[in-house]
Amino acid sequence: MEQKIRVLIAKPGLDGHDRGALVIAQALRDHGMEVIYTGLRQSPLQIVQAAIQEDVDVIGLSSLSGAHRTLFPKVVEELEKRNAGDIPVVGGGVIPSEDIPFLLEKGVRKIFTSGSSTVALAQYIQRLVHPKESTIIKPPEKIAHIGIAVHSIEHALGFYTDVLGLPLEGVEEVKSEGVKVAFIRIGETRIELLESIEDTSAIHQFLSKKGEGIHHIALEAGDLESRLKAYRDQGVPLINETPKSGANNSSIAFIHPKAANGVLFELCQHTEGTE
Amino acid sequence: MDKNKRPVEAWKQNTDQTIKRFPERKDTFTTLSDMEVDRLYYPDNDLLYEEKIGFPGEYPYTRGIQPTMYRGRFWTMRQYAGFGSATETNKRFRYLLNQGQTGLSVAFDLPTQIGYDSDDMMAEGEVGKVGVAIDTLEDMEKLLEEIPLDKVSTSMTINAPASVLLCMYLAVGEKQGVPLDKLTGTIQNDILKEYIARGTYIYPPKPSMRLITNIFEFCQQNVPKFNTISISGYHIREAGSNAVQEAAFTLANGIAYVDAAIASGLDIDSFAPRLAFFFNAHNNFFEEIAKFRAARRIWAKIMKEKYHAQNPKSWKMRFHTQTGGSTLTAHQPDNNIVRVTMQALAAVLGGTQSLHTNSRDEALSLPTEDSARIALRTQQIIAHESGVADTIDPLGGSYYVEELTDKMEEKIQEYLDQIDEIGGAVQAVEEGYMQREIQHNAYETQKKIERNEEIIVGLNKFTIEEEVNPDLLKVDEALEKGQIEALQSLRSKRNQQVIQNVLQKLRKAARNEHDNLIPYILEAVKAYATIGEICNVLRDEFGEYTGL
Repeated sequence: MEQKIRVLIAKPGLDGHDRGALVIAQALRDHGMEVIYTGLRQSPLQIVQAAIQEDVDVIGLSSLSGAHRTLFPKVVEELEKRNAGDIPVVGGGVIPSEDIPFLLEKGVRKIFTSGSSTVALAQYIQRLVHPKESTIIKPPEKIAHIGIAVHSIEHALGFYTDVLGLPLEGVEEVKSEGVKVAFIRIGETRIELLESIEDTSAIHQFLSKKGEGIHHIALEAGDLESRLKAYRDQGVPLINETPKSGANNSSIAFIHPKAANGVLFELCQHTEGTE
Repeated sequence: MDKNKRPVEAWKQNTDQTIKRFPERKDTFTTLSDMEVDRLYYPDNDLLYEEKIGFPGEYPYTRGIQPTMYRGRFWTMRQYAGFGSATETNKRFRYLLNQGQTGLSVAFDLPTQIGYDSDDMMAEGEVGKVGVAIDTLEDMEKLLEEIPLDKVSTSMTINAPASVLLCMYLAVGEKQGVPLDKLTGTIQNDILKEYIARGTYIYPPKPSMRLITNIFEFCQQNVPKFNTISISGYHIREAGSNAVQEAAFTLANGIAYVDAAIASGLDIDSFAPRLAFFFNAHNNFFEEIAKFRAARRIWAKIMKEKYHAQNPKSWKMRFHTQTGGSTLTAHQPDNNIVRVTMQALAAVLGGTQSLHTNSRDEALSLPTEDSARIALRTQQIIAHESGVADTIDPLGGSYYVEELTDKMEEKIQEYLDQIDEIGGAVQAVEEGYMQREIQHNAYETQKKIERNEEIIVGLNKFTIEEEVNPDLLKVDEALEKGQIEALQSLRSKRNQQVIQNVLQKLRKAARNEHDNLIPYILEAVKAYATIGEICNVLRDEFGEYTGL
């Protein structure tokens, strides 16, 4: 039987607000983890000793008093001093966003601020402790192409091939999407011109709503299926929850623009040898 | 009942007397269309109403504790403030007084609240963070510099070491030449809710209760205008309780303090008029109003019927209210201004004596000056523009509010009976009963929010993409160092022999449980003994509470 994930929830410093710590302890238990709560007023050293003694997989720190800048890094430091630097530390509480980069730089893995969901936290800890089962998803490798919606590829092409002098790689119709696409190579990436061939296509809608312009950015990214699952688990809104086939023998999926400040991102994975 | 002796006639007579001494704000109050607003609205001929709900300023005080309420004087606008050094906080205080604030409210940093000096190892990273750091009388002198203590009332959020901070305040008053019986203010001094919800306890319950009753006794004899305790539901609510639990556990704690004081030999009417309460104003508008009205009625009944208090002042529940900090969101922080407005209005319609309105940025950090001003303006707009303060208890008689008040009273009473069965609030705290009840409710609330069964606007509905990065108040990191240097320099200047003597006397008094500790603490404070030195003597003698 698989061992339960063991979590130490700790309140460093003098802060007495433990509503968040207690709620999270209960939520993690409901997600099948074993949770040890230190109680109030623990010094960084006491927290680290408890973590080692209890053989925990992860430490969660909670502070609402403003002492996080001093105390969170101290916990990481004390862990390293005792050769326990492999126990990851995450934090939460009232923590101004401008302090987060500082804490991450000091070795805290992640900060969950006011309003975070306990489900996201539990999933994060699961991934943190068992990266194989949930597979740590590598960041996308590069920009595969930038998609530009045009009324007519024939009319648009001249600027790219004649004025800029870029090589046209090919033109194909993707019937499933109701579009015709042209790929123009630029360095290791491409520009993709999209022309609608059906009134029901997304490109047709885009053109009639916004006119011509940048439509999406496509990222080259492997493990598409598990990647989509992982993103979904983190609450990222997806247009496609499973991959579908795209141009150029690729598998693709779109992320909802809500997730990225209104920018539509496509994830695409090219089958071996086609690139 | 004889028609001539209807309670309304008695109330009218009583009110006329009051108005002779304390005139109302205006001779006549009118709406914006020039219709006159009466002092009070009530059913013309309903004896049941007159007995059960009664009139403002009269038992059981459902409609308020004063006969004219805000027609006489608005509630005290009292914003909690304090951060960093005593000098900086003094500046903020003077700013707030200039802006029309009518009372001070001091926030102390955590080391002060738990009785540690700023250079104690336990204080690292916490000095000056959530409030002002006070190590010795010298800091208190800086904090109150040029603030006339005979004119301004000061509320101090201090519990386990309340006696030490109270003594420092008295010592500053003395230096300003203000007689002790002219000093007004409040110390929180409510240790039971620290065990339940807030966490700044030092000693175990029994000696803590002794310190509290020592304060009751000392103040009754020497500082009669000071509120010796503010029995607080605020933090119980912030820790995740619901409105019923907030009121019930607060009242249960109040009963425990009364019992302890009586057990120590005090007469109920000697201390009960100085008991004050502190509640939260949360989101559910009418339920909050009903909570305030029900709590007031229950307390009056307990004091009169259970403890046989004779002085009507002992029956009156006076309370401070603060809007609910945990209802504020880090997302779309300007929405918090609207939440605070609704909550503040509920507090006013519930008849609060003083009010703190939270600042919009409190879910992110301590409030900036701009945010603190908007919060104060919110109260001023309710007071001066809305007209809600022109008649007494305007919701009295609302079918909904009266029914809700009755139901609240019933549910609160059920909890009080339950706690009584356990053996009182001290026992219930030691067994963790209230803590469990609150935690259960907190977790259920969180789950409801995550399942979108409870809507928080801007958090789980009507969300937008936003960068959460407004201007935030930053406490200077160098402050801790400065505070420590000042403390150490003061320590080196003192006469060590004097310090040893006063601390030794305090230690001896602590061992004799019939001694009142306050005069000894006052002596130590005046000799510039530090808060840590004083609290450590008592830690040695009383032991430390380590949680459940």
